Amino acid sequence: MSKRKRPDSNAPSDSLTDHERLIYDVIRSNKQDMGIWTRDMKRELKVNLPDNIVTKSIKSLQNKSLIKEVVNIHNKGKKHLMAVEFEPSKEISGGAWYSEGSLDTEFIKVVKSQCLKQIIKLKVATLEGISDSIKRSGAFKVDLTKQQIEEIVRAVVLDNQIMEVKSNGSGEFTNIPVGKVCYKNVSKGGGGGEPKTGSSASVPCGVCPQINFCTPDGVISPKTCVYYTKWLDF
Amino acid sequence: MLTEYGTKHAVHVITNHFGDLVAKVCECLLRKGPLTRQNVKRYTELSDEQVKNALLVLIQQNCVQAFTTEQPDGPKANTQYVVLFDNILHRVRFAKFLTILSQEFDQQCVELVQGLLEHGRLTLKQMFDRAKSSEKEGNLVDLDSLRETLVKLVTAHYVERCPASEPLLMPISEEEGPARKKGSKSAKKIGEPETIEQQVVEAALPMEAMRFSVVTNVESDVGEKEKNSNNVTPGEKRKHDVLELDECGVADEQSVVYRANFEGFIRRLRHKGCIDHVRAHLDDGAANVLSAMLQATSSAEKKVKTKNSVPLSLSSIYEEVIKSEAGRNMTLDHVRASLVQLGELSFVDASSDSYSIDFEKIIEIAQNEEVESVVSKRYGRDAYRIFRLLSKSGRLLETDKISDTTFVEKKDAPKILYKLWKDGYLLMEKLVVTGARQSQFLLWKVNRQILWKHVLDEMFHAALNLSLRVSYELDREKELLNLPADKRTGPLQDRYNRIRKVRILLESSQMKLDDAILLFHDF
Repeated sequence: MSKRKRPDSNAPSDSLTDHERLIYDVIRSNKQDMGIWTRDMKRELKVNLPDNIVTKSIKSLQNKSLIKEVVNIHNKGKKHLMAVEFEPSKEISGGAWYSEGSLDTEFIKVVKSQCLKQIIKLKVATLEGISDSIKRSGAFKVDLTKQQIEEIVRAVVLDNQIMEVKSNGSGEFTNIPVGKVCYKNVSKGGGGGEPKTGSSASVPCGVCPQINFCTPDGVISPKTCVYYTKWLDF
Repeated sequence: MLTEYGTKHAVHVITNHFGDLVAKVCECLLRKGPLTRQNVKRYTELSDEQVKNALLVLIQQNCVQAFTTEQPDGPKANTQYVVLFDNILHRVRFAKFLTILSQEFDQQCVELVQGLLEHGRLTLKQMFDRAKSSEKEGNLVDLDSLRETLVKLVTAHYVERCPASEPLLMPISEEEGPARKKGSKSAKKIGEPETIEQQVVEAALPMEAMRFSVVTNVESDVGEKEKNSNNVTPGEKRKHDVLELDECGVADEQSVVYRANFEGFIRRLRHKGCIDHVRAHLDDGAANVLSAMLQATSSAEKKVKTKNSVPLSLSSIYEEVIKSEAGRNMTLDHVRASLVQLGELSFVDASSDSYSIDFEKIIEIAQNEEVESVVSKRYGRDAYRIFRLLSKSGRLLETDKISDTTFVEKKDAPKILYKLWKDGYLLMEKLVVTGARQSQFLLWKVNRQILWKHVLDEMFHAALNLSLRVSYELDREKELLNLPADKRTGPLQDRYNRIRKVRILLESSQMKLDDAILLFHDF
């Protein structure tokens, strides 16, 4: 009776060609979570393989789910290859907020809105309070780290939807140690998080992108200005 | 130093109010600084008579102040003339000043100040003649009630005695410099050198007691003496005394000239601006509390740009709050809660149970919001977050750090930063790091001092543009506007309706923009 060779998931190399094995070893042995740029990888190969062989091998390895391509956030033209079992480091991928080399704007929007919701609910909240509240709400499948919550909360402050205050230990800050940083909803501030239009911004010149080229009698002037004409079109 | 559009805007205001000739002299002084009459003539190429008349108009209207300087050796220098830029700006605000008055005083007060604003400066007799010439049936004007009105306005510091016509400006020695700066009321900040304009204005000001006093003892004294002289056989000496007093008294009243005290109005507008800002950020309750604190402490303010109000206890604040109709229903707890809210935003400083308004903080926040609004509308939301980050941090930050913190795409952040830098909103520095490889980093920063000057210049530019567009639109429809109402039919009526709306929008926008100029230049 011959022993049947069982397929062994820990020995994928069995199904690789020699070229594929060479390339796979270089990729895998590199800084695991940084991956390796395709061009650097070609340089590290001990033998000089023609480009078409390399490309074919990479494709095959990808099809066999052994390696994956990761976009380098700092240079989207430079594709990095890494073994599937590793997660790309923040330096390459951009972190939790990036997806395929771009900001995951939908995800960021959802997390921002959840943070704001919890702050409004709690009236005055510390970072820990917001983090716990989000966890309890079960709004996200994965747990967001405290650092991630902090990054998002800081961005919501920059959006002027919440403000940062320090606890004075009394009144609405009763259960919060004195001096601890907290967050509160900005009570008034225009509609939908939009900053209130200032006096200067309510006239065409205040927001004009051509203001530096505008002169009283020039080609761009208040008399010839198209923004004015539109504004005064009753 | 005046910015380009600050100068252009001021010249345009003077042109509109007094014509090209006066504006030419004004522009010469704005661009060249203080000059003698000879030098004004030389630079403007106008005749001596024309220069003299233009200067007289500008002085009468408080837009120019004459002064002399002492030479260390030799004769007194020639009279020089310095333009009062702030007072030119005030000329577009007269309607705001009169609105303040109408809220606090009666119609006679408003009319008296209206006369002062129109004519620049008047004696009591001139005020009386003016009031007499426009008096209505059943509403006769008498000198006593007019004098009373003047006293009311002077006591409230809305009217003042005119300054000295040609004060002597002492040269500041190096040793005296810092001491003078510290004591100076008109220096914007400690350490910032006073401009010639500020020095001259300060030198010209009468002493506080005299500046806000009205010669009121004349008529009554003369009246009394006359009464006495009727009862007593007039001795020669008494008659002589009465005559002497009479001459001096009447001469005093005739020679003392008064003008509107712009500082008083600007201070009031500053208070109003702070109250409006608090109302927009918090609620009416907090606005009432702030208003009460201002009411109780404003007389103690020594200058327009006061940093903090005089501290008040909670009970003093509450007493003042319930005096007003708006605050009558507020409880002590409500007032306390409003003070806590104001404290959270640092609008009010609380220490040892006393509360003091932090004007600088309220104005700083209002200024930040004004600039952030422009950035948001002109460059978009991403730029708004980037600008707020840099403005709050106050230091140089690297491009990647900025894009990470603000959640702006790495490829978009440099473009936005570059645009803000090119338009003068940010400073940029390059950092080259040599290691294994040479890398270049770009660092960005908001420099408030530089940026605020730039923003103010843009506002002057916008103010000038609004004014030019108003003139252009009205000029275009000049004939239509002169047409009698019954001749305006069909499309002419539509055009007329349009020009009415255009005028209202442009003129109200000018007033609104002026609020922003007040915020950055005067408050």
